[in-house]
Amino acid sequence: MKSLFKLLSALLVAAFVLTACGTPATPEKVVETVKETVTVKQTEIVKVEVPAEKTVVRLSGWASSPSETALLESLLYKFSVENPDILVKYEPITGDYKQALLTSIAGGVEPDIYYVDIFWWLELATNDALLPLDDLMAASGVKKDEFIPSLVEAFTYNGKLYGIAKDFNTLGMFYNKDLFDKAGLAYPTDDWTWTELKDAAKKLTDLSDPNKPVYGFCTPPDPGRFPAFVFQNGGTVMTPDFKDTTLDSEAAVGAAEFYTSFRAEGIGALPSDLGEGWQGTLFGKGQCAMVYEGGWLIPYLRDQFPGTKYGVVMPPAGPKGEGNLIFTVAWGISANTKNPEAAWKVVQFLTSEASQKTVLESGFALPSRKSLQNSDYLKNNPNSAAIFNGSFNGAQPFFWGAVGSDVNDQMGKALERVFKENQPVAEAMKQAAEAIRKALK
Amino acid sequence: MAASGNARKLSEAITGYLFISPWLILFIIFSLISLGYAVYLSFTSYNLLKPPQFIGLESYRRVLEEDLFLQKALPNTFKYVLIVVPIQTILSLVLAFAMDQKLRFRRFFRTVFYLPSVTSSVVISLIFIWIFAPQGIFNQIMGLSVNWLDDPRTAFYVIMGMNIFTTSGTLMLIFLAGLQDISPSIYEAAQIDGANGVQQFFYITIPMLRPVIFFVVTVGVIGCFQVFDQIYVMTAGGPLDSTTTITYLIYKWAFRDTTIKMGQASALAVILTLIILGVTILQRRIIEGSGSSAER
Repeated sequence: MKSLFKLLSALLVAAFVLTACGTPATPEKVVETVKETVTVKQTEIVKVEVPAEKTVVRLSGWASSPSETALLESLLYKFSVENPDILVKYEPITGDYKQALLTSIAGGVEPDIYYVDIFWWLELATNDALLPLDDLMAASGVKKDEFIPSLVEAFTYNGKLYGIAKDFNTLGMFYNKDLFDKAGLAYPTDDWTWTELKDAAKKLTDLSDPNKPVYGFCTPPDPGRFPAFVFQNGGTVMTPDFKDTTLDSEAAVGAAEFYTSFRAEGIGALPSDLGEGWQGTLFGKGQCAMVYEGGWLIPYLRDQFPGTKYGVVMPPAGPKGEGNLIFTVAWGISANTKNPEAAWKVVQFLTSEASQKTVLESGFALPSRKSLQNSDYLKNNPNSAAIFNGSFNGAQPFFWGAVGSDVNDQMGKALERVFKENQPVAEAMKQAAEAIRKALK
Repeated sequence: MAASGNARKLSEAITGYLFISPWLILFIIFSLISLGYAVYLSFTSYNLLKPPQFIGLESYRRVLEEDLFLQKALPNTFKYVLIVVPIQTILSLVLAFAMDQKLRFRRFFRTVFYLPSVTSSVVISLIFIWIFAPQGIFNQIMGLSVNWLDDPRTAFYVIMGMNIFTTSGTLMLIFLAGLQDISPSIYEAAQIDGANGVQQFFYITIPMLRPVIFFVVTVGVIGCFQVFDQIYVMTAGGPLDSTTTITYLIYKWAFRDTTIKMGQASALAVILTLIILGVTILQRRIIEGSGSSAER
């Protein structure tokens, strides 16, 4: 009798554990409207058997946030309802995406559709890992000029298009309204120049509280921020053919001098000076009054620092006009896919006007279609609009050719040497340029 | 008679191999084949996207011409080994010696000292990132405002300190086992001959521990040459390459760079293996007399 009781309780425990494991995990931070559809979709994927005649298409990307993943999943659910013959298997990659993707390509088991970043997509295209999309587009009547030209240009190689931009970002100047009010300054406008930026930084800096110093403008040694200043100063990072660097040019050195002057004058700081890895956090905490960041800061502030009052304008112009960086990610299709048509159908759906509208309205990213430029959403969200409009003002893709990671490394190190070792700017930039030239050989 | 003896030997061998087969199969698949493939890749140019191209010793030449290897990774790695190994060996020996005495609460201390060794290195790395942050507890206690992990002069030493902190516990246990292996009768004989505690330590404990010391130093040297995860988590080789070690450079070339240099990374991995092999042989020469017991 006793042993029977033991057995029963063991079974009970086992049943409990099994149910606990069987519940599909739902992402925690989900935008409310999206939540329902996502839950439905996940349970279906888990329980419904795949009919044999379905075409299976594997899709992969990095998972930047639970809410963004949920958004994509809800779009894919919509696709599965409209296209019952195609089953999209979403396989997000957490951790080092490029590493995981490249090893899966090397092993011949890459997904049919995957994210390609502007920073390294060309490496895939030149090695025949990506499928040119021109024929598929023509067959389905999708025209290139439906998308923002610079984004089409960004993913074109030898006249062929290798990816449809999923979304893009540029840099905007985020400013903390409370700190501007406190300093009695008028809010920045899109007409600002370097002069106004410097003046404001001086007035916004307040070091009276040693535990919470406030700096006017934060200048991370970040190759994803600094080049905007180079462009604003009329310079470039690489020559147009990417065979040489121009980081030791007068324009680039001048930009570096301006960029590093904020910290030297005590009106700017590096995120690491204030114990953070990212200036977005410091902006949220009110320790950096102005920062150059992309649209990704908007949902971050909404989630982490909902109380922050801020605005976004286009980066101030430099002596030679406007300059900005475009960060973009495209949907690419593997050259080895067995179902190019089905894969294209998925990409076509995800980049359709309806899907992009959903993405835009979620506030996570800016769409790549021209037609959405005049959308109500951008009219009602001037902060996002500033990021969007940045793409027209001297913005260039965040892409430095085959040795891009070396260029980034060297740019970052040159700035670090100036900041941390007081190396003269011209010398630091020259050293960086020489190291890049060595890598180019 | 002889035939049946052979048959028995054979069946014994088969049984033996069957027993080790779970490990052996995994070893062959995940270590031996991968190792052989890495050696092959070191003679090729390979970017993961196109099949490897045989280029002979070109990858090795490129490694040996790379500033990042010659000026940063190589000296950094040796510096790391030369600082961490002696300190962790001496520290763990002292700890083991203390734990071997009849101290009160020694079981408690033993657990405390061993605790970092059973914690994941990633977790410890994160804890150290917070401890050594500009507003972290270390600066607060010391009244300093140094940005430890972001300063090229200090970052590497924080990582070294952390490694000493995490490995000393394990090494202490090994020393403790070695200490308890030493027969008390030797100490008694020494006491009768009038040897004091210090003399006993230097003339009995240390010589008797020689094989254990060899083991601890060897394991320590190999571990230090391969330091990676702490650097990956804490500094990613920075600031200004001050924490770039050979293993981190292998990773950088193999996975981080825009143009993947798998061949060059594999060549460096082979070079690292040769360095470790050379150093280990050298060590064995230096700590002579440990002989066969060093094999364990």
